[in-house]
Amino acid sequence: MLVFNDLHKRFGDVAALAGLSFAVHPGRILGFLGPNGAGKTTAMRCVFGLVNPDSGAVTWNGRIIDEKAKLVFGYMPEERGLYPKMKTGEQVAYFARLSGLSPDAATAASSHWLTDLGLADRAADKLEELSHGNQQRVQLACALVHDPVVAILDEPFAGLDPIGVETMAGVLRRLASRGTAIVFSSHQLDLVADVCQDVVIIDHGRSVLQGDVGELRHNSPTRFLEVEVNGVPWAQPVAGIDAVEANGRHRYLLSRNAEIGPILDQAAADGEVTRFAFEPPNLTDLFREAVRR
Amino acid sequence: MSPVRQVYELAKRDFLQRARSKAFLMAMVLTVGIVLIIGPLIALADGDEQPRVIALVAEQPVGSEQAIREQSAMLDLDVRFQRYPDLVAAEAALSRGEVAVVVNGATDLVLREPSLRLSAAITGGIATAQRQLIAAEMGLSEADVGALLFPLQFSERTIEPAETEEDEVTEVAALVGLMLLYISILMFGQFVMMGVMEEKQTRVVEVVLSRVKPTQILVGKVIGVGLLGLIQIVAMGGALIFTVSIADLAEIDLTGLGIKVLGLLILWYLLGYAFYSFMYGALGATISRQEDMQGVAMLPVLLILPGFFLGQMALLEPDLWFNQVASLIPLWSPMVMAVRSTTSNVPVWEVAVAIVLLAATTALLIKLGGRIYRGAILQSGRKTKLRAAWRSATD
Repeated sequence: MLVFNDLHKRFGDVAALAGLSFAVHPGRILGFLGPNGAGKTTAMRCVFGLVNPDSGAVTWNGRIIDEKAKLVFGYMPEERGLYPKMKTGEQVAYFARLSGLSPDAATAASSHWLTDLGLADRAADKLEELSHGNQQRVQLACALVHDPVVAILDEPFAGLDPIGVETMAGVLRRLASRGTAIVFSSHQLDLVADVCQDVVIIDHGRSVLQGDVGELRHNSPTRFLEVEVNGVPWAQPVAGIDAVEANGRHRYLLSRNAEIGPILDQAAADGEVTRFAFEPPNLTDLFREAVRR
Repeated sequence: MSPVRQVYELAKRDFLQRARSKAFLMAMVLTVGIVLIIGPLIALADGDEQPRVIALVAEQPVGSEQAIREQSAMLDLDVRFQRYPDLVAAEAALSRGEVAVVVNGATDLVLREPSLRLSAAITGGIATAQRQLIAAEMGLSEADVGALLFPLQFSERTIEPAETEEDEVTEVAALVGLMLLYISILMFGQFVMMGVMEEKQTRVVEVVLSRVKPTQILVGKVIGVGLLGLIQIVAMGGALIFTVSIADLAEIDLTGLGIKVLGLLILWYLLGYAFYSFMYGALGATISRQEDMQGVAMLPVLLILPGFFLGQMALLEPDLWFNQVASLIPLWSPMVMAVRSTTSNVPVWEVAVAIVLLAATTALLIKLGGRIYRGAILQSGRKTKLRAAWRSATD
């Protein structure tokens, strides 16, 4: 288990991390969320010693992460970068060897990952000759080529087209099914909801919400009600109940135990009720609620 | 995986990246190629030198041809004679390039272009012949002529041994070695700086740093690029040795001297390069743009430049106390000691002290440079101040 234990880090007057704590479990995918500047990248860099926390530590199976442990971790930094003039296949194999694979195993792993990511025919091309999206796939291959037990991926989906997103999501699911603990940050909350089992939302350097996505939604004290009458959204005022307008959707905000019968009756009085959805908050709702913005 | 194998992988990548670059390969093949063909060309030109033809018109003193031949031999000239019926015919041959000079009578010389050696050989030769004739007419013996020409026998002694041809050639070899050393340390040091800067610029360094320590990256880069420099020095030095031995420029063992200079060059290149390349590497981490390289690269140049000049001074006075001291100072010892060791018999203990001092300073520099590298390499922004880099790195 990878544990971020009470991490504090200041850069001058700015507190990048202010007591961040959470855990990542083997075989599970954790979405690491937070507004820009919340401290996600700093926290991820702490895993590899790229940033030394002022206090607190990141541990793997109860031990401080040393140079040896780092070699079984995979990292995809937010600021992408590889050797532009190096051939793609050679590049992936190089990082595999740096992680301790033998030359033969590294070549085989490079070939395997490039094939898996749909880049088998580009192995002999220089990285700079690839499109942005394909370069991102190579970056992922470099992070995962040594079959890490922990994968720390900073914004892995940023800039990918829908097919790229699908491919990358598939890779992460397969990796998790083999027991890898995965942490990835993203601003695409629908995607996080789709791919992750766990989520940690941080703000101002500390965790403001964390847990199993399904449980967090289920345990939330609020529920949203969305109604359509005669096939169109129904937005009549309901006495004592607040309404929320977001992204063109009109939803009523209720407590988990709210009585919804009277609202159904009121809607039915206006015509045929074609949709009546009483749902827990989605991840976007939880995020907004957690960071209160 | 052992840290040593990681450094090997890092060094290999840096070595291959530079070694495969077309610009580097072209420059290497071109310079070594040129040096390699110069020797055979000189030998060929020497062997094929045609004798200078001297056109003779009218009468010269008896014995002139023999005397000119003797004078020419002393001046390392090969001459032969061709007699022409008149000045017009001789000058026509001169303008066609068939002869090098026309000697009209005893005192009139016509040359295509001024040639001090040829003029001296001819005028000296004719004058000697004429002198012998006059001496014979006056009934003077050779001893009388000698007494007239050289009335006193001077003796001359020097308290310093005279500079032999070997000394001169050794100085030239040391100077060539010094220049090669200076250029190599600067050139490959700057390659290290460029490599560090490029890794920061392309941001690949964060991926590498997630696997290895910052110092390993720096050491790997210094080894990889340094090996390339070593290969270039051996290739260049080998080519120079080959070319001077083929050209047969002096009557001493040039190959032996060349091998000695090359050995010293390799030793002091390795030591000097190690020192300066860690400095270059640390400085490279403070910048992320090619445009900023020149400004930052000035510091090592300013530090090494006095060494280059001191090396040239040591060429002339290798055992002067000032040069002895300079050859022990780590900033300059690679150049000054390399020169002194070539041109003089430097005591072993002095060389040992210079090496120990330089190695110790390099070790310190690896520590300081490693910290600056660590503190600067992940900083964003165009330039990182050394103090900021120092502070942001923690041990």
